[in-house]
Amino acid sequence: MPIALLKFPSDLLREVFKLCEPFELYKLSKCSKRAQRSKKLGGPKNWKIRFSSRRHVIICVDDSNYSFEQTKNPNEYFKIEYSRMCIEFPNGEAVDMFVYLLETFGIRTVESLGCDYGNFHDFSKIARFLIGRNMEIESFWIGAMKYDAFMPLMNQMNITKDFTSFFKFPSDFRLQLTKYPNKICIYYSFWYNIGQLLECTCVRIELLGSKMRNRDLNVFLKKWKKRGTFPNLRLLKVDGNNIDDRSPILGSKPPIKNVDNPTIRVSFGNEEIDDAIRVMKADGTVGWLNVKLGDVPTLKFLVANPTDTVVKDLAEDEDLEDDW
Amino acid sequence: MSSTEQGTSSAAPAEPTTAPESAAAPEVPESFYYVHGKDKVVHKVSAGALQHSALIHGMISNLGYTEEQAKANPFPFENIDGDILQMVVDWCNQHKGKPTPPEDTNLPKQKEKLFDLVLAVNYLEIKELLTYCCKQVAMMVKGKSPEEIREIWMIPTDAEDEAAEKEAKKRAGKEAAGETAAAAGDAK
Repeated sequence: MPIALLKFPSDLLREVFKLCEPFELYKLSKCSKRAQRSKKLGGPKNWKIRFSSRRHVIICVDDSNYSFEQTKNPNEYFKIEYSRMCIEFPNGEAVDMFVYLLETFGIRTVESLGCDYGNFHDFSKIARFLIGRNMEIESFWIGAMKYDAFMPLMNQMNITKDFTSFFKFPSDFRLQLTKYPNKICIYYSFWYNIGQLLECTCVRIELLGSKMRNRDLNVFLKKWKKRGTFPNLRLLKVDGNNIDDRSPILGSKPPIKNVDNPTIRVSFGNEEIDDAIRVMKADGTVGWLNVKLGDVPTLKFLVANPTDTVVKDLAEDEDLEDDW
Repeated sequence: MSSTEQGTSSAAPAEPTTAPESAAAPEVPESFYYVHGKDKVVHKVSAGALQHSALIHGMISNLGYTEEQAKANPFPFENIDGDILQMVVDWCNQHKGKPTPPEDTNLPKQKEKLFDLVLAVNYLEIKELLTYCCKQVAMMVKGKSPEEIREIWMIPTDAEDEAAEKEAKKRAGKEAAGETAAAAGDAK
């Protein structure tokens, strides 16, 4: 039995749209221009969008993902399988699809944007669009690609949570973001020097394949110990072959670990550090440091916060297990 | 609707139809109120059942009517069809004093009445029933193509919308011209 949906008052339309899945709303938007405009009443749902491949664009809401996948076969249009729906991209372009979804769903946040060898053409158009609107990009990652034309775009993007790079930047490259996100994770980070690290305001810093030496890390940690420095920092992880046992870091030569009580585990969230030594900042904040040598020498430094950090004696757990 | 409007209703109430009561016996004597829709058929409903409607609950909470006063002053809902109001009253009675379970089998299923039911429930501010009804509306198009959605939700095509818009403009123009002519006539 048909029902004249668009004759509902707008608050009722919002209620109905809130209960529809994104695929149905997308199909509704294809019914007419008025239907597409009505869809914008979709309400306060926290829609986000992801782009990492020219073949699909993903919408995320309430921990669910909905992938809009390109097909050129009309027989497949609007076919839904699990959380994927095949559709024809407007003008055959991923960027047009991305913009259509942004506007139709009133999306204001990009959950994840990826730039890789296969999608660079679309990525650059999307990035320019997002920069023009100063849209928030929560996570941005760069794949192991050859082009470097994304670099000027990257510097203008509003990345807020996470920056991950697999790209081999030139040795003299300097990361210049409008603002540091909460986390950076850089593979092939040989170009990321102590000067850049000292300027970094991130909560989590992971530098893999670093060229930093003991003395660089010593400079960083000594600065951290001073009052008021690196107020956001919770985790620093650096691995690289230049970390060795020749010179000290905070007065100790690596390996650096807690030998007095080697069963202490400090953790918060998904991060944990074992056998670390205690490092005290001038303001009383406690940090935990561990430096391992071996195949991949690694420094791990975790800053404790009484509200979420757990310090656990693993020996006690083992005793308990023995009792069982 | 204000309490004044309902208090001055001049419609002679028909003999009230007593809706089925909840199985649970009330511990204290319950107060009852009376409502009627477009068809003027008056329904006797307990205050407990009416609590589902934020609109009616707000209206009755400060009235302090006696049984006689309540009977003499049924709440008139002239914008709601009688059969729709009956459905709503039935639902309120079935769910008196208890929350709606997620899979409620006692909810109205008449799809041909869904449009009017949604409007009525929205007007009466019955949140749980509204959510259920809206879910029913949303489910109507699950897995359908845009063409099917257009039919189910009666969505006009762009061409039909444009034609309707032109027609509305034309009508508005004629009305404006008529008003101008009338005003000119009055001036003379």
